[in-house]
Amino acid sequence: MATVELQGVTKIFDKTVKALDQISFTVQNGKFFVLLGPTGAGKTTTLRAIAGLEKIDHGKILFDEEDVTTAQPAARDTAFVFQQYSLYPHYKVYDNLAFPLRSPLRKVPEQEINSKVTKIAEMLKISSKLNNKATELSGGEMQRVAIGRALVREPNIYLMDEPLSSLDAKLRESLRVELKNIQLNLGATILYVTHDQAEATTMADQIGVLENGKIAQIGSPEEIYNNPNSIYVANRLGSPKINIVKNSVLSSIISTNAYQLGLRPEHIKLGQGDLSASVKTVEALGAETVVELEYNGIEMLCLYQGSFDGQRGDNIKFAIDQSKVLFFNEDGNKIL
Amino acid sequence: MDTSRSPLEPSGFSRKLAATIIIVYMVVTLIPITWIVATSFKSVDSAISYPPEVFFEPSLEGYVNLFTNRSRQPKEYLDSLPPPETWYEELVRSREMVITGPSKFIGRYSNSLIIGFGATFLSVFLGALAAYAFSRFKVPLKDDLMFFILSTRMFPPIAVAVPIFIMYRKLGLGDTHLGMIILYTVVNLSLAVWLLKGFMDEIPKEYEEAAMIDGYSRMQAFFKVVLPQAMTGIAATAIFCMIFSWNEYAFAVLLTQFNAQTAPPFIPTIIGEGGLDWPAIGAGTTLFLIPVMIFTVVLRKHLLRGITFGAVRK
Repeated sequence: MATVELQGVTKIFDKTVKALDQISFTVQNGKFFVLLGPTGAGKTTTLRAIAGLEKIDHGKILFDEEDVTTAQPAARDTAFVFQQYSLYPHYKVYDNLAFPLRSPLRKVPEQEINSKVTKIAEMLKISSKLNNKATELSGGEMQRVAIGRALVREPNIYLMDEPLSSLDAKLRESLRVELKNIQLNLGATILYVTHDQAEATTMADQIGVLENGKIAQIGSPEEIYNNPNSIYVANRLGSPKINIVKNSVLSSIISTNAYQLGLRPEHIKLGQGDLSASVKTVEALGAETVVELEYNGIEMLCLYQGSFDGQRGDNIKFAIDQSKVLFFNEDGNKIL
Repeated sequence: MDTSRSPLEPSGFSRKLAATIIIVYMVVTLIPITWIVATSFKSVDSAISYPPEVFFEPSLEGYVNLFTNRSRQPKEYLDSLPPPETWYEELVRSREMVITGPSKFIGRYSNSLIIGFGATFLSVFLGALAAYAFSRFKVPLKDDLMFFILSTRMFPPIAVAVPIFIMYRKLGLGDTHLGMIILYTVVNLSLAVWLLKGFMDEIPKEYEEAAMIDGYSRMQAFFKVVLPQAMTGIAATAIFCMIFSWNEYAFAVLLTQFNAQTAPPFIPTIIGEGGLDWPAIGAGTTLFLIPVMIFTVVLRKHLLRGITFGAVRK
């Protein structure tokens, strides 16, 4: 495992489209780094650049301070889990898992391959499927084989491109936990790409938020959540989404020169304080309830602990936890 | 009324109609072939009898004549010989002839095998490499090059027979196996590139990328991962190339005579006493059909296996 560092990596497609613009970040050895961003932000391109599948136009990629910017994919010794699981359909599951170990670069003896494959198959609970053809698996099994094919090796870094996005919710949750455990047990360095904030917050040691090919912010999940440096970043984490309102709306209680305010739904306290709003919708989630309020002509989501016994049209008192309010300027950047 | 049928399945009537059309088509195409196979088992006399004999006493005379050279001998000489040792000698003797040696058929037949399979292998191999390059790499003027490759088939190959004849004579490629393999490869290559490019385009590039990250070079990834998945296309292409090279007649007549002559120009020239030896020609044609038939049947399972790209989510 290695520390992977990107310095000012820029990738331009078709001479005009800047897919990556001066990307710089470091994945420390043994850490779980998540790149978070919507479709088209450059997450996959970043992974492909690190793996050597895309040539970059500017910048450097370093593995343990060694420059690999121009090295061939095979020479970089990374492991990649693709979004489309891309198992080799003409091989059995066993041979799929053994494939990287049989590379002419590694020449691992068959006996050792056997023990490694067996171990990984057990860990991922696919032992009974080893003799199946790759095409005779369910989606979840295929994805576990694809992850297994990466885990049989000890590469410099594991690169994972939304590996769970094609699975159903239940399987996704359990694999998420499994993956984090595996990472902790192996001390693996993982760069994980996703647009799913739950995956990012549950697994990451560090999150890098991408915006249009640029790094918007890097930090621990708590930092990104509590201290986003722009509205864009604030929108990436938190469910329900953060409320962004103009300062005029809350001028009666908060005096500020900030143009916009960010209010997390859980920081709006219902049934207390002296502000009054009407209830628009009530969405019961079990342990919590999402309540949509209308106040001063704008809608705000708030998260209520427990079940909420109000309904549409009710008037309700609420208060705002002023110490948690985030302040942004006209461009959506944070004001200290 | 049958209501258990799913709307996606054809109705009983359309099934029957389809079967009828196929059977009629089969009868039409199989009559000449059946006649040739039947002729190969006739005696020389019954092959040319009029009206044609549909039921006849089978004989292996045609096959014996195909594989041997014979000469007619006077009865006294035949009587002076020791009794025939094998069934085919006996058959020839009964026609008052002796076997003077093997015919050229086996040589011509092996020429066909060498040239047919050689050209097929080469066309498919080179075609696959070119198709992969066109499918994956940024080739300058890609579309123009692909069109140029296709345009080589826009005239019948025989249109360039004269220049090729002169060129082959100058290069010493006339009447050689290599010359014929090169010629048939060249003719087949454009078809192979076009067919295979379509199949290569269908194979997601993630497979090679995964293999390259897993420690294989692009070439190794091509052989280990891409080619096995292109099997359907390779089988289809190989069948087309094989059928062309195996059946090609005009260039074979023009460019080969002794050393590299293939079976097609040879078979119709099998001459018996007083005219063409129809049973022997029938026998030659029947044997000639077999390799390409086996080849097609063997590869057919890859054709039918069809599009089973199951392991990539699209």
